[in-house]
Amino acid sequence: MAKLTLPPVELVRSGHSACPGCGPALAMRYLLKGTGERTVVSVPASCWTIIATGYPTTALRLPMIDTPIEATGASISGLRAALDALHMSDVQVVGFAGDGGTVDIGLQSLSGMLERRTDALYVMYDNEAYMNTGIQRSGSTPEGAWTTTTPVEGMARGKGEPKKDIMGIVLAHHPVYAATLNVAYPEDFLRKAQKAASLKGPRFFHVLAPCPPGWKFASDQTVQIGRLATDTGIFPLYEVENGKLRVTRKLGQLKPVRDYIKVQGRFGHLTDAEIDTVEHEVQASWAALLQREARP
Amino acid sequence: MTRLVLSGNYAQSYAARLARVQVISAYPITPQTTIVEQLAKFVSSGELPAQFIKVESEHSALQVCVSAAALGARTYTATSSQGLLLMHELLHWASGMRTPIVMGVVSRSVGPPWSLDADHTDTMSQRDTGWVQIYPESNQEVLDSVLEAFRLAEDLAIRLPVMVAEDAFYLSHTVEPVEVPSQAQVDAFLPPRVPKGTLVPGKATRLGSYVGPADYVRFRREQARAMERVPETLAAIEEDYGRRMGRTYGGLVQEYRTEGADAVLLTMGTASTTARAVVDELRSEGKRVGLARIRVFRPFPAKEVRDLASRVDRLGVMDRSWTFGQMGSAATEVAAAIQSSPRRPRLSSFLAGVGGRDVGTALLREMFRDLLSKEPSGLRWLDMDPPKEVPLHG
Amino acid sequence: MIEIRFHGRGGQGAVIAAELLAQAANLDGKIPQSFAFYGAERRGAPVVSYARIDDRPIRLRTAITAPDIVVVLDPGLVEVAPVMDGLKPGGTLLVNSPLPPERFPTPKPAFVATLDATQIALSHGVGSRTMPIVNTTMLGALSRVSSVVSLSAVQHAIDEHVPARPAENGLAAIEGFHTVRVAELPGLPGGKAPSGPVAPALSSEVPEGPIASMASDVLHTSSWRTLQPVITREKCTRCNFCWKFCPDNAIDLDSEGFPVVRNEHCKGCGLCAVECPPVAIEMVVEGGA
Ligand SMILES: Cc1ncc(C[n+]2csc(CCOP(=O)(O)OP(=O)(O)O)c2C)c(N)n1
Ligand code: SF4
Ligand code: SF4
Ligand SMILES: [Mg+2]
Repeated sequence: MAKLTLPPVELVRSGHSACPGCGPALAMRYLLKGTGERTVVSVPASCWTIIATGYPTTALRLPMIDTPIEATGASISGLRAALDALHMSDVQVVGFAGDGGTVDIGLQSLSGMLERRTDALYVMYDNEAYMNTGIQRSGSTPEGAWTTTTPVEGMARGKGEPKKDIMGIVLAHHPVYAATLNVAYPEDFLRKAQKAASLKGPRFFHVLAPCPPGWKFASDQTVQIGRLATDTGIFPLYEVENGKLRVTRKLGQLKPVRDYIKVQGRFGHLTDAEIDTVEHEVQASWAALLQREARP
Repeated sequence: MTRLVLSGNYAQSYAARLARVQVISAYPITPQTTIVEQLAKFVSSGELPAQFIKVESEHSALQVCVSAAALGARTYTATSSQGLLLMHELLHWASGMRTPIVMGVVSRSVGPPWSLDADHTDTMSQRDTGWVQIYPESNQEVLDSVLEAFRLAEDLAIRLPVMVAEDAFYLSHTVEPVEVPSQAQVDAFLPPRVPKGTLVPGKATRLGSYVGPADYVRFRREQARAMERVPETLAAIEEDYGRRMGRTYGGLVQEYRTEGADAVLLTMGTASTTARAVVDELRSEGKRVGLARIRVFRPFPAKEVRDLASRVDRLGVMDRSWTFGQMGSAATEVAAAIQSSPRRPRLSSFLAGVGGRDVGTALLREMFRDLLSKEPSGLRWLDMDPPKEVPLHG
Repeated sequence: MIEIRFHGRGGQGAVIAAELLAQAANLDGKIPQSFAFYGAERRGAPVVSYARIDDRPIRLRTAITAPDIVVVLDPGLVEVAPVMDGLKPGGTLLVNSPLPPERFPTPKPAFVATLDATQIALSHGVGSRTMPIVNTTMLGALSRVSSVVSLSAVQHAIDEHVPARPAENGLAAIEGFHTVRVAELPGLPGGKAPSGPVAPALSSEVPEGPIASMASDVLHTSSWRTLQPVITREKCTRCNFCWKFCPDNAIDLDSEGFPVVRNEHCKGCGLCAVECPPVAIEMVVEGGA
């Protein structure tokens, strides 16, 4: 039998309330395998509020604190402060927030946490919209995607603005470690989680976490679509340690973005010309990423 | 015990230090700033071995305290006015999670128009967020109240956050003698926090879950019961404090010369001190008047107010804020409290000291005069005339 | 006044079914009310919605506890959700099922009606195999088995309010109207409903604060499922991909390293089947129907 490539410990329990095939459910599972049992998790209002199940049950074998949607950065600063004050400095602090709770309403709190150099790991799981409230656009929704607030009707063609560059914003704060992760690549995910857990200071993860109902694909396609996101160059996997960038999943030839776009209902309206535009943008940003990697 | 001449703000900082707070988080706002500046000094000098998390907003300040308190730490924050308003959502989180945070509030008017002066609009507009609210009238009482507040908040039967609200400038920037207890005295009065209902590293503990209606209402009822237990618990704490330090403040409502009074005025905060002097003057003139100071506004001292109402014919309530109800906020509470009492005195609501207008003896005499008159006003905004000579600003 | 309760699964359109019924009843000149309580339901999880229909203004804004009619959109729900709860004696139970009405005995005497709405909807291209949209077919059937709404009003309501494929939905409704079978059943001895699913009991003691610590494993999310993975051991190479990618941790590895699906927690997402390199896992319809 094949060796397990992930630790067998399960810190997320079964019985949770995620939709079938939920990417963010996988994200928490892989993350905690990396950070381990001595972890405290802060979760703002998001799908994960619900996934963790209602009182009196809980889906985590660890402590978890709920917070308002905009306060994850401050919450993890508070957890860290208490652990240090109470002589429990060995405990890992993790903020686990959605994309809306991070790039929009929680951006100030995230910036504050990074700037004051809180020793904690902030994880943004990116399902590219406000899913818990029923698929509204967020700053992290990609251009062209259908959401309930960016309809495809009349002249409207889904979201009209590009996705916010959260990694750029975070890197401008010079965290000790920042990385992009994808639930479709669990071994890479695990390695980064373990690495982050071994470091001190502010750390940040941008995790791609496909959402079947929100992106409009069948629940068995989560991993396939996740892989395509990386292999088309749309969501490259890399890490930045002390300012040095390294691509962690090398790609020779990029797969056509069409393969990724065509399998998701939220992009169903995009024309060939529109897809070509995306293709060019992705090629350019991939080339730029490789250039940054080559920089000494 | 040493006697120091301290501002109300420093009284807050000294009390937090003596309470051995473990996590402090705050954001600057006038007139709160000197509280946190002094705490920063205590922490930097090593006198106070606490984590001081300097945040980018009041919202984050309170979230830091909520999360730290959720793990069992003793936490303190301070703010004022707009800062308190920005905390609004977090105020509910703090009380709903039963975190025993103590917060110093320097009560200041709320803009617009901008104004920095004493006024209770900030704390009154947060009166329904599940926090205990104490309104001291002297710097000594500020220090004593903060220490009592930690004992109360952390009492296992209570576990509620507490605000200690001092009037801007009248306390925050007024210096006067304060008896500062020794660390040993405070340690004996205030033992380390015993965590209950907190997160435990390594254990499945989730604080703040979503719940169904059946559990929601039970949690709210339980929170309400904790609030109902405050008067009795605070009385016991005060008694202990009095035994150790030699000072008490008479429970939730502190009465002054109310025996045989025809009219009693209810006040909060610093106006009470001046009002007491006015009562003495009027008594010496043969007028039978008295004063009752509402020291604790949440939980509202309905029992004490009803008891007072059974003894007098006329009650006036001075409010230092207007909250757009039918009367001032304290007056509205008093009206609700006395409606079930067998004897219902005539009630007047006075708006005075709003936006920092000075509450002097003449103004207080006018309130008593109104109360004793044949036809007392129901609701009255006092002191509305502009100053004789308008000073030029700018 | 007639009170109706719909049982469906998250994402299946139970709320829309109740709203569409309200629109149709309005076209019939009646006064409708439809509502739902939003909870934490996710895709596939059992959900309910409600409607009231009367000739006069409705003066109630409360939950429906004793419905005249219960409509069950998903056949699997009869086993896992309390669909019979409170159904009035002499009321109507309408179930999407290929089975005859007699297979759904009610606690009290009632009319039971069934039709294979999934098949009908799919034959008209409404919905997909994993998520058939049966609400319009079921409303067509409802207009046959009760006087609460007319078929023509259902058709009109579909035309006006169903954004995707209104024509196909209309045809599905008509076929639902014509194929539904009804039987009058006498009720079960003792008048007891078959026991429904067990939710974790609320503790009667007053909680210390909102601290949750009970393991979520007590919640059996198998009720969300319409498809079920079946592993062919002979084909399995023990690569443990299925274990790795299951978002519900519903796959355990036995002592020899073979995957075993934990039935009570599998939500039937199908990820394990798609990710299995030797294609040793097949998704089959729940209950083997
Ligand atoms: C102050 C405030 N505004 C709005 C909401 C409503 N709300 C709850 S969850 C949510 C969506 C969060 O989206 P995201 O952070 O992307 O997480 P996801 O739901 O997609 O997992 C919103 C808007 C809230 N809880 N608090
Ligand atoms: S909506 Fe998407 S992110 Fe939310 S629980 Fe469902 S699959 Fe997961
Ligand atoms: S279908 Fe497979 S992957 Fe999905 S929940 Fe069931 S066991 Fe897990
Ligand atoms: Mg999101």
